[in-house]
Amino acid sequence: MARNLSSNSLKLFNQDSFPVASFIALFLLCLIMMGTDYRYKILKEIKARFSIVNGPITFLINLPVTIFIDSKDVFITKTLLKERIKNLQQSNYILSIAVQENKLLTAENNILRDTLKIKKDFNLLSINAEIVLPRVRNGYSIITINKGLNHKIKTGSAVINNAGLVGQIINTSKSHSEIMPITSENYAVPAIMDNSKENVILYGNGNGGLEIPLFPSSSSILINDTFVTSGVGGLYPKGINIGKVVEIKKTTSPKFNSIVITPFSQPVTFTQISVLDIKE
Amino acid sequence: MIKKTIIEKKKERTSFIILFLISIIFSNIGIPGIENSTLMPNYFIALIIACILNKNSFFNIYKLVIIGLLVDLFAGQLLGQYGLIFICIYLLYSIIQRLLVIKTTLQLFSLGLFLTLCSFLILWATSMSHDLFISFTSLFIELIFTFIAYLIFNIFIKKFTAN
Repeated sequence: MARNLSSNSLKLFNQDSFPVASFIALFLLCLIMMGTDYRYKILKEIKARFSIVNGPITFLINLPVTIFIDSKDVFITKTLLKERIKNLQQSNYILSIAVQENKLLTAENNILRDTLKIKKDFNLLSINAEIVLPRVRNGYSIITINKGLNHKIKTGSAVINNAGLVGQIINTSKSHSEIMPITSENYAVPAIMDNSKENVILYGNGNGGLEIPLFPSSSSILINDTFVTSGVGGLYPKGINIGKVVEIKKTTSPKFNSIVITPFSQPVTFTQISVLDIKE
Repeated sequence: MIKKTIIEKKKERTSFIILFLISIIFSNIGIPGIENSTLMPNYFIALIIACILNKNSFFNIYKLVIIGLLVDLFAGQLLGQYGLIFICIYLLYSIIQRLLVIKTTLQLFSLGLFLTLCSFLILWATSMSHDLFISFTSLFIELIFTFIAYLIFNIFIKKFTAN
């Protein structure tokens, strides 16, 4: 139902006239702040300084959930523990065999590298850390680890664990750092299929997976094919496990398919990770 | 024009502060049982819409920008993003209130849904993570969750500020 328009200016809450000039000024101010922040990353700086206050608050907020997760581990039965020990012993046995194989392969590789005179160094420099808060912040996945600037963690460093690529450092404070997981919406990583030479870029879909939105349908790809980092760009070393193909979807164009990938590593528990050092 | 008493104003301010703190807490924890972190309501947008539609006298355009900056500090991506969203909601509401007679509860809820949708459009347009391959399903679910959060906040505000 439309009301007759009077000559009065816009009114809010039937009290005062709408402050148009203030609105325009504040609108422009917000836009300037956003532009400046996007360019100079001011909010990151403020958050890093504010982390002395913000960190404990976030920790306290998550404390009940953390206690619940911890208490689940405390109350597991003796039988379950025995079973877990048995499984660990079995995996330890398998791993010790794998270590022997690796030693053999390393020795063979060294001989071949000497023969072919390859000088490239593959040693990865990393800093080990522990995940302390695998949580969300206003709809965005954030993993908090217990190492920061004091431990020489740098923003932009790649993060891996024993299963594969975990994400990238986006914020660092003195004692803590925040990781953007590989499944985040604004995450991208250059990758290669481990059984072909197809170079692609994987994007996080914000839904617990990764995607290649437009993958040429002429290229061969199957379910369970795995992707590893390609090393393009220099940020991620070549050959780190990323994930495996779980779905191949048709797009509106017959020339392209959309590929959904499930990452090997999705740390949601309090586990160890390694932060790779950025080579200057 | 109905003037609000000092006690009413105090109640409105207190209810806003309580709900703001609750929003900070909930925005830092996911919904239990849902692994997908993006599928959670935007509590701050829900709160501001609920307060504006309940004609909370605590607000003015300057306070909205300051609240927006606080939200950015706790849970934002870009400085000024939430301030921009909040003042746009304020402007939209003032225009709609001027043009249309909003009286019934259903009309208010429809307006709430419309303002939530507009907020999400602004949030998406100003987001650092917006891209061409946006999942409209998850955006739609998030919108519905935010609207439910608005309804809950609305009930709380009405109960708290009732005489």
